[in-house]
Amino acid sequence: MLRDITLGQYYPVDSVVHRLDPRAKIVLAFMYIIAVFMVPSLWLYLPVLAYLVLATWLSKLPARMMLRSLRPMRIILIITFILNLFFASGTTPLLRLGRVTIWQEGLMNALVFTFRLVFLVTGSSILTLTTSPVTLTDGLERLASPLKVIKFPAHEMAMMMTIALRFIPTLVEEADKIMKAQTARGADFESGNLMARARAMIPLLVPLFISAFRRAGDLAMAMEARCYRGGEGRTRLNKLQFRTRDLLALLTMLALYLVILLPGWLW
Amino acid sequence: MPIVLEQLSHLYRSGPSTTTALEDINLTIEDGELLALIGHTGSGKSTLAQHLNGLLQPSAGRVLLDGQDINQQGAHRRALRFQVGLVFQYPEHQLFEETVYKDIAFGPKNMGLEAEEMDRRVRSAMELVGLPFDEMQGRSPFELSGGQMRRVALAGVLAMQPRVLVLDEPTAGLDPSARDYLLGDIQRLNDQGTTVVLISHAMDEVARLATRVAVLERGRLVMEGPTTDIFTQQERLNAMGLDIPESYKLARRLNEAGLDLHGHYAMDELADQIAQAIKGGGGDAA
Repeated sequence: MLRDITLGQYYPVDSVVHRLDPRAKIVLAFMYIIAVFMVPSLWLYLPVLAYLVLATWLSKLPARMMLRSLRPMRIILIITFILNLFFASGTTPLLRLGRVTIWQEGLMNALVFTFRLVFLVTGSSILTLTTSPVTLTDGLERLASPLKVIKFPAHEMAMMMTIALRFIPTLVEEADKIMKAQTARGADFESGNLMARARAMIPLLVPLFISAFRRAGDLAMAMEARCYRGGEGRTRLNKLQFRTRDLLALLTMLALYLVILLPGWLW
Repeated sequence: MPIVLEQLSHLYRSGPSTTTALEDINLTIEDGELLALIGHTGSGKSTLAQHLNGLLQPSAGRVLLDGQDINQQGAHRRALRFQVGLVFQYPEHQLFEETVYKDIAFGPKNMGLEAEEMDRRVRSAMELVGLPFDEMQGRSPFELSGGQMRRVALAGVLAMQPRVLVLDEPTAGLDPSARDYLLGDIQRLNDQGTTVVLISHAMDEVARLATRVAVLERGRLVMEGPTTDIFTQQERLNAMGLDIPESYKLARRLNEAGLDLHGHYAMDELADQIAQAIKGGGGDAA
């Protein structure tokens, strides 16, 4: 039951995109998000779509997977669409339903906003699908390391993220196990009103917290036993290297910006 | 109330791939027996255990309790779970209440028992596992030793008075004296009529307790029979990465050396047999 939770899901295949430097991918993802927000009209989502399809194809990700990332968003998407459709006013009426009028501008707005969400979610999921959590935090740490000048604990933040991500599956498994053990003792997690259900979580949450604290203690001990003492003077086994292909990837993003923004400048 | 597994299969789905955890298992667990389930890590023992009280649903096949399919529509799975008690690996990790008493009473409370009956059951369960009631009942389960915590967890299941008790690696991580104590508890329960299914890696425990042994390998039931018959097939077990009990190894070497031993080779019986064989031999020489 809890196994269905997917968080920062990584799709492990070997592709050009997978091999890109995580720093390049993080920057790309940020630039992509900004690009999606800058698209001025509905038609200019076409180049964004083309970029997305190209990126998906290069990452060897199944299209099904990309669409699946939209599933949890479907209600928000529908609400966005409906709200924009009915509550915008314009000059060109398209359809009259009793007292409600649907305007052409409203429809356009609704489409733009909905597509914006769709492209945001699918595009940014490429980052987590093609980058393993450890590589991702590694990239974040390196990107944030200039901030060490102002005492920002870049290494510690990255280490905390890595550990948190590492232990999600472990805790999910643990929760599953405890849930089964309590079910075997007649606990009922599925029926009753909200209060009854919240109360039913106690036999699950107390052991789960205790085990999380125990694991944290064990891990801290194991890290100290291996002489971990923070990021100071720490070297790496796999050093990140910014290569030509990373530069090329960033250039493709610049090309996308040009395509989106050029029409606005020219006309 | 025998439990019958009929062509039981179980598949785990994880993303695009499926793993077969159990395949076509046919097994009957008789009333009052002490059946041991052995097999390599990942052979499907724990999955099988969870099928015995309906925590998992079979991908194919049936689990019959008293001739009733426990997974059929309308089957009262909760009532059924009260008949088949399942003690998971490291059961002390499931303790959550403020006091030992409350934790043991959790199962009986879920059964909807009267306060009086509940109290009686908590007392008798604590007695069964050797926890002194007056001294322990008010203490927090988290300030006990590992062995005591495990006994509290076991008592929590026993207080539901199941007719079948399934134990998944009950002695893992215990020190020798706590282990010995727990095995004694299990033996006593079985003597009192509770059917026990014991999952274990420790072959010496299996030899000491089990009357019958079932061997799983990669989700299949590959061997099944009386303990002595299984453990005398050393080559087959070794090929599966399983060991045989020390007493069986000793008996085998003594037999090779010309001593005539036969029958049950659990440690105590073996000692008697050796004594007899030596006396007999000594008599010849005299």
